[in-house]
Amino acid sequence: MAKVLMKGNEAMALAAIKGGCDAFFGYPITPQNEIPEYLSYHMQEHGRVFVQAESEVAAINMVYGAAGAGARVLTSSSSPGIALKQEGISYIVGSELPAVIINVMRGGPGLGGIQPSQGDYNQVTRGGGNGDYHLLAFAPETLQETVDIVKQSFDLADYYRNPVMIAVDGLIGQMMEPVDIDKEVEQKTLEEKTWASDGTSGKRGRVNKIVSLHLDPYDLEKHNLKLKAKYDEMVEKEQRYEMIDTDDAEIVIVAYGSMARIARSAVKELRNEGVKVGIIRPITIWPFPEKAFDELPESVHTLLTVEMSLGQMLQDVKIVNQGRYQLEFYGRAGGVVPEASEIMDQVRKHLKGAK
Amino acid sequence: MKRITILTGHYGSGKSEIAINLAIQDELNALIDLDIINPYFRSRSARKLLEANGIELIESTIENSAGSDLPFISAKGSRPFVNSDLRAVYDLGGTKHGAKVMMQFRDFIKNRDEIDFLVVVNIYRPETDQAKKIIQMVEELEATSQIRVTGFINNSNLMEYTDESMIEEGERILKEAAGTLNLPIVYTFIEEHVKTTKRYAGDNRVLIRYLAKQWL
Repeated sequence: MAKVLMKGNEAMALAAIKGGCDAFFGYPITPQNEIPEYLSYHMQEHGRVFVQAESEVAAINMVYGAAGAGARVLTSSSSPGIALKQEGISYIVGSELPAVIINVMRGGPGLGGIQPSQGDYNQVTRGGGNGDYHLLAFAPETLQETVDIVKQSFDLADYYRNPVMIAVDGLIGQMMEPVDIDKEVEQKTLEEKTWASDGTSGKRGRVNKIVSLHLDPYDLEKHNLKLKAKYDEMVEKEQRYEMIDTDDAEIVIVAYGSMARIARSAVKELRNEGVKVGIIRPITIWPFPEKAFDELPESVHTLLTVEMSLGQMLQDVKIVNQGRYQLEFYGRAGGVVPEASEIMDQVRKHLKGAK
Repeated sequence: MKRITILTGHYGSGKSEIAINLAIQDELNALIDLDIINPYFRSRSARKLLEANGIELIESTIENSAGSDLPFISAKGSRPFVNSDLRAVYDLGGTKHGAKVMMQFRDFIKNRDEIDFLVVVNIYRPETDQAKKIIQMVEELEATSQIRVTGFINNSNLMEYTDESMIEEGERILKEAAGTLNLPIVYTFIEEHVKTTKRYAGDNRVLIRYLAKQWL
């Protein structure tokens, strides 16, 4: 189909419908409200389920229940709302259920503000729930990429029987951009959900129980190792990233989401000035795309991490870097969006021979 | 151009950019941003630009709290209805919910002939891609605002992908809706990069994007 002009939140909502989302449970919060608003009238048209829950905690537990019954389920929220959902997310992971969670990030901590932020990096990649677990976490840059990932994420969640989180900052939720909503995306071959607790009145000959409780420590350790095997598979297969102008680069910016859009503008300008600068753009933030750093040419001497937060992704860059390159950082927080010129100044400051 | 222009429509139809363009191009006295729907990309973000052009910005934000999403409406918003020396453009939030704010000004509106209540339409927005959807939207906007729509603005675009054929297709669909409702197309806005010598319905204007940053 041809392109249409959509607002980020609307586009994600429509992409969820196209991705086969059966049910949405959520609670309003700025700057993601157009997602539930859009779904509140369009889910019904498609014969799907939309429920505005009484709270975020209720919503994530509805997700837990519907996912356990075998449905493809979505919830969306923004930073403080995602924090409220963390307990439920841990239960969903522990019960090995698929779910898709969209996080349109705003400034924190606490209630914070309503302007765009990437301050949830740790919340998204480390999680706020208990136990050894990970979410497959995407941080797309354009509306087209966001739409494609939302559609794919239902398959990925089903495949791994693990929640997938799509983390975008408020700008991507609120911005307008042309998108091809029906662009083909890669699909997984999926098995029937024989584990689903979907009501057979005992005719199945076994009971499908959805639980995260394992009282025997050896049993629970076995369960943890089973989960870990899934995370190892994700680390191996799911790392996504884009290398931008890195072939001859001396300084490489590491940036994701809206920050990568701004970095692109900075790089374009700097390249016109003859500055050899490129970008590693993580598309998955968990697993962190460590493979990207092995592709850097010998010309690189410095990695400049830029975030709309104060050095959260920087920790992952440090882990991956292992002393290979000089590490620098620039970040703005609280909903302040840096200008391309600020990033250009930072790059110039770290050029070899710069004073 | 009438003394007061009120812009309504679906969200993302381009109301705020058009409001700023009209205010600057027609040297209006005031732009009243009554968007209580969107948290970002509102015409109030162009405060410096508007003030540099001698245009007063009246906004629906409690002073010094631009980051708040409280649906606050400044009492100053009624001023152009009371003071007939002021030429102004009103920028409403999207959809019927955004148009509802106009109801409170009903008692101030003395002379309806001075007011254009225009629906901005981009047919590349899926919610307004057919005449019947546009007609339904007009009915909703009139019902919640309690003001009769007086015309349309064709702002059909796909941003950087816009070409002449898209403006024409927008005009074709919009004329279908406008014909049914017996309303004129008052303006056609044309993206800055579309160099065209063609004449489209209504007053033809160039759209300069003031709110979308370079990297957006």
